[in-house]
Amino acid sequence: MPGWEELFYGVFRALQLIFSGDPEIARITFLSLRVSGAATLLGGIIGIPLGATIALRSFRGKTIVISMINTLMGLPPVLVGLIFYILLSSTGPLGFLHLIYTPEAMMLAQLTMVIPIVAGVVITSTSGIDVGLREAAISLGADALQEVRILLWESRLGLLTALVVGFGAAISEVGAIMIVGGNLLGYTRALTTSIVLLTNQGEFVEAIALGIILLALAFLVNVVLTCLQMKSRSGLFAQTRSTKINRKVEV
Amino acid sequence: MNGKALPVIVGALAVILITLSSPTINLSPSRSRLVIATTTSTVDSGLLEYLKPYFDSRFNADMTWLYLGTGQAIAVASRGDADILLIHDRVREDAFVNSGSGVHRVTVMYNDFVVIGPKSDPAGIKGCTNVTVAFKKIAEAGEQGSAAFVSRGDKSGTNALELRMWAGADVSPRGKPWYIETGQGMSPTIRVSNEKQAYTVSDRGTWGKLKSKLGDTLGLQILVEGDAALLNPYGLINLNPTRYPNINSDLAEKFFLFMISDEGQGLIERFEVSGQQLFFPVFGKPESIGLPSEKAEVQFWVQKLREEGMKPPSWIQSDSQVPSDRV
Repeated sequence: MPGWEELFYGVFRALQLIFSGDPEIARITFLSLRVSGAATLLGGIIGIPLGATIALRSFRGKTIVISMINTLMGLPPVLVGLIFYILLSSTGPLGFLHLIYTPEAMMLAQLTMVIPIVAGVVITSTSGIDVGLREAAISLGADALQEVRILLWESRLGLLTALVVGFGAAISEVGAIMIVGGNLLGYTRALTTSIVLLTNQGEFVEAIALGIILLALAFLVNVVLTCLQMKSRSGLFAQTRSTKINRKVEV
Repeated sequence: MNGKALPVIVGALAVILITLSSPTINLSPSRSRLVIATTTSTVDSGLLEYLKPYFDSRFNADMTWLYLGTGQAIAVASRGDADILLIHDRVREDAFVNSGSGVHRVTVMYNDFVVIGPKSDPAGIKGCTNVTVAFKKIAEAGEQGSAAFVSRGDKSGTNALELRMWAGADVSPRGKPWYIETGQGMSPTIRVSNEKQAYTVSDRGTWGKLKSKLGDTLGLQILVEGDAALLNPYGLINLNPTRYPNINSDLAEKFFLFMISDEGQGLIERFEVSGQQLFFPVFGKPESIGLPSEKAEVQFWVQKLREEGMKPPSWIQSDSQVPSDRV
């Protein structure tokens, strides 16, 4: 059975590539990490306040806005890629930025996908917070900013989940970065785009090996974030709700 | 408690941010980057990867390529998103130059297309010397439900050739149950044909490379080859620098010269996969494969080569510039 052989050698080759420190593989891996990491961080910086604001405020059309965000959570990467390609193309409306086929363009496209994902998860997790908590905070004299901070703090597990989901979507995505990055060797070639190219060329073992590196990378990032989650649950962050509110309000 | 945790998180984020923003990618910013928009076959066959170190070291450049079908390659180049075109669809190549987007076009190399299919050959086309006849037979067997054909269906150069063959055979295959369109590159399309035990058309380069990769798992073989209609010439086109001021036109011209020079043409000639030559240099002598003369372009570029101190290929005579008849 040749299929099993390829999978087996793929795992073997992945270990070989990781430990040989092949510069090209290192560069490809680092590019994926850099682009998707930056997209996730910026996505968090924009998506978390956005999601929290939508969750906490009552306004007309809130249902429509939430439905829109939920729809955008499933934004097809290839569509995002195509739109950004047309915008950033040398002769396109944003061509003067000279961003086409750069890691920055890849980051922008992934950011566009990460923001609704983060905002969507944040809306869900902050909506689940006890209404009593908000009322208690307000009755203790919390102003609007303090209220948001308290709620974000209370939903911190949800926020970490939002970042985990956002990062997972970004690092595994191929449709957008293939179009706006161009998969240029040594410059915009990422793990997922390399896998596509290697698969097309029939280099299945190498493709599997890169896939395993990708999985390992996602695993490492998730271990770090999950450790943060566990710690926040089991002591490092643990506080009773009332002292928490008091402290925040006093500040 | 909280006071301890926050600095840890902030610290971790800061480290990540610093790592992410460090200028890691462009390790050698002094090298000028060339972006070639090209067809899947020049990449899948490994030709560009093979040429890259020679070009990079000679011109202190960083040669990269966009892996596209000819249709998309032209679309991308006509938006100014590539520096030079290396493609294989003469009709659209000429249209690109005539529209003013391209300036110079020469035939730089060629190979040929082959009709491949299952070893059982249900349509009985093996050894057929006329590709039109072979296509008619495939369509007949397809209608009887005993054969299938896999098309690129992606407006690539190979797709364009295939559609010309169907038109020649007076068959309109689209929508027929035996006609499958993948919309993908050559290698994936061959793999689909393999899974479906169907016929397809491939350039010889991609077929040779994939065969050397997949070996025995590839249950297909060449059934029809050698018909003049299956000729696959590759055109090299440089873009109009006035229309696209942002492209790297200097380096694009260097690449043009490199490809048509004695060095480049020799490298193409010596490129082999599994001991088989995949591309044949033909700059300056398109007549030798039955294509129209490109005399004006050839004279222009031979002059340029000399100005740059580069050697034209050996088959171009030094004084007369009339291509000699090479075996």
